[in-house]
Amino acid sequence: MSLRRAGAVALRILHQFRHDRRTLVLLFGAPIILLGLFYFLTGGGSSLPAVDVVNLDRGPLGAVLEADLRSSAQITVTPITLAGAVSALNSDSVVAYVVLPADLSSVASQQGLIAPAVHLEGTEPSLTQPVLLAVDQSVASAARSVAAAEGVRLPRLQPTIDYLHGGPTLDSLDYFGAAFIGLVVFFLVFVVTIIAFLRERTQGTLERLMASPLRRADLVVGYMAGFMAVGTVQAVEVVVFALYVLGCHNQGSVALVVLITLLMTLVAVNLAVLLSMFATTEFQAVQFIPLAIVPQVLLSGVIFPVTTEPVWLQVVSRLLPLTYGVDGLRDVMLKGDGLTGGAVLLDIAVIAAFAVALVAAATATLRRRLS
Amino acid sequence: MTAIPVAVAVDGVVKAFGPVRALDGASLSVDTGEIYGLLGPNGAGKTTLIRSLVGLVSPDAGTVTVLGRRLPDHAVLADVGYMPQSPALYADLTVEENLRFFASIHGLRGEAARLRSSEALEFVDLPSRRRSVVATLSGGMRQRLSLACALVHRPRLLLLDEPTVGVDPQLRVELWQRFTQMSEEGTTIIVSSHVMDEAERCGRLGLLRFGHLLAEGTAAELRRRAGVERLEDAFLALSGAAP
Repeated sequence: MSLRRAGAVALRILHQFRHDRRTLVLLFGAPIILLGLFYFLTGGGSSLPAVDVVNLDRGPLGAVLEADLRSSAQITVTPITLAGAVSALNSDSVVAYVVLPADLSSVASQQGLIAPAVHLEGTEPSLTQPVLLAVDQSVASAARSVAAAEGVRLPRLQPTIDYLHGGPTLDSLDYFGAAFIGLVVFFLVFVVTIIAFLRERTQGTLERLMASPLRRADLVVGYMAGFMAVGTVQAVEVVVFALYVLGCHNQGSVALVVLITLLMTLVAVNLAVLLSMFATTEFQAVQFIPLAIVPQVLLSGVIFPVTTEPVWLQVVSRLLPLTYGVDGLRDVMLKGDGLTGGAVLLDIAVIAAFAVALVAAATATLRRRLS
Repeated sequence: MTAIPVAVAVDGVVKAFGPVRALDGASLSVDTGEIYGLLGPNGAGKTTLIRSLVGLVSPDAGTVTVLGRRLPDHAVLADVGYMPQSPALYADLTVEENLRFFASIHGLRGEAARLRSSEALEFVDLPSRRRSVVATLSGGMRQRLSLACALVHRPRLLLLDEPTVGVDPQLRVELWQRFTQMSEEGTTIIVSSHVMDEAERCGRLGLLRFGHLLAEGTAAELRRRAGVERLEDAFLALSGAAP
C-alpha cells in the first residue's frame, strides 16, 4: 500500500464533495432536519392529547378529581358541559372525555368505589394509553386524599370505559396498518417513477420526445396512466394482503380503501415527475428520499398523531398530501366512515386537488429542464 | 402538400448559455431536397444550431423558419426527424419496441407502424437484431437504430447530429448512399460532421465557427476559394486556423 496513492484517492473524494453541493446539503442538512423533527415529535414542545372533563358530582370528590386530572402531565384537560364534550369527541378535537357522575362522592364514601366514566375516541392506541394512565393516577391521588381526610379505607378505582370507534381489541397493527397501506404504495411508486423519469432524461430520450409531436401533457399523462396501471395492481395487492392475510381491522368499504390508495399512487407519480426536475442523475434522485420522503412520513401522522404535534408543525403537516391519505384511510378502516360523513370526502378531495396541481406543475416545468 | 423551395431558413440567430455565445448571428438557408453539411470544430455551435431547428433551443435573437413555418411551431415537428448526437434509445426495450414507440408518437398505428418499422430496420441493416434488447447492442448498432428511429415516420426534413460516429467505414458508405437516395426522393437532410470524406458527399457545406458561418458552398467551391487541394486544408484555411 502506498500512502501517497491512498492520499490521492482521498483528496479526489474531497474535491468531488466540493463540486457536489447537493450531497453536502444531504450530509449536513438532513441530520439536523430529521433529528429536529424527532425532537419536536417525541415531546420537545409537542402538544399533549386533549381531554375534556365533565364534572356532574354533587359532592366534593368531583372537584378534587378534576383538579388532579388538570395537573396531569399526560394530558391537557378542559372542563366543559356534557353536550360540548360529546360534540368535541365526535369532531375529533379531543381524544377522550371523562364524566364524573352526580353520585361520584356518595358512591365513593358508601361503597368504596370511585367510578368515573371514560369515553375514548379509540382509534389511536398511542393516545388512549395516556388518558387511561392519567385517570388512574388522578383517581389514586384523589382516593388517598379522601382516605386521609375522612379516615375511611382507600376507595378502589372502577371506571367504566367505552369507545366511540374500535375498542380495546383495536391494536397497533390496526392503527399503523391503515396508514402503512397508503405509505407503502406512496413511497414505492415515488421511487420507481422518479428513477424511470430520470432515465428518460439521462439517456437523452426526453430530448428526443421534446423534438417530436408529443406534447408535454401527453408525456405527463402517459406516465400517469402507465404507472397507474401497475399501481392499481399494487394497490389491490397491498389492500388484500393487509385486510385478508394480516387481518387488519376494517370497518369501512374496501372499495373506498382501494380508491384512496389509488389516489396516493397518482400523487406519488406526479410528485416524482415534478421532483425529477431538481435532479440530474439517478443518484441525486435517491437523495430525495431522506430529504423529501422521510420528513413527510414523520409529519403525516403515520407514526406520531398530527394532533399531538406542536401547532406550527401541524400547519406543515396539513400541507402534505400523505397526511390526508393517512387520515382518510384511518377514517374508513377504523371508524367505518363512508363518503356521506364528509370527512373522508374532504380527504379524497384534497388528495385529488394535490394530484391535479402536481400534474399541472410537472407539465409546466418539463420543458425548462431541457435547456 | 406543396413543395416549399426553402426547407430551412435561419436568420441572425443568437443563443447564449451564460457567458458562452453558442450561436452568434448564425444565418443559413437550405433548399428542399438538399443535403447540407455543417462543419466545424468542437464547440463551434453545430449541435446548438441543429437543436434550434426542432425548438429545443429558443433563440435569444433572430428567426428560424422550418418547412415554411416560423418557430416555435409544434405542428411542424411531425414532418421533422431528429437524430441526437448520442443514441437516445430505451436500453431496456427491444430494437423493434423502440421503433414502434417512435412510430406511434408520430401517429403511426397498426399495420402502417409495423411496415414503416420494418422498412426503417432494413434501411439501417438491422433486421436480424429485431428482437434484441438495446442494452445488448454494440455502439454502432445503437447508432443505426437511433437513425432508424429518426426516419421511421418518413420526415420531410432529417436532422442528423454526427450520425456516423462509431459506424464502420463500410456501413458508413452504405448509409450515405441511402441519404443520397432519400434526398433524390425529396427529403431535405442537414447533417453535422467533422469527417471530411462525408463532407465531400454533401450538396453544400457550411463552415461554422464561433457560432456563425464563416464560409458556405460546395466542396469544390470551398477548395477553390481556399486555393488548396484537400477539403481539410480548405476548412482549416477558411476558419482561420491554418498555420
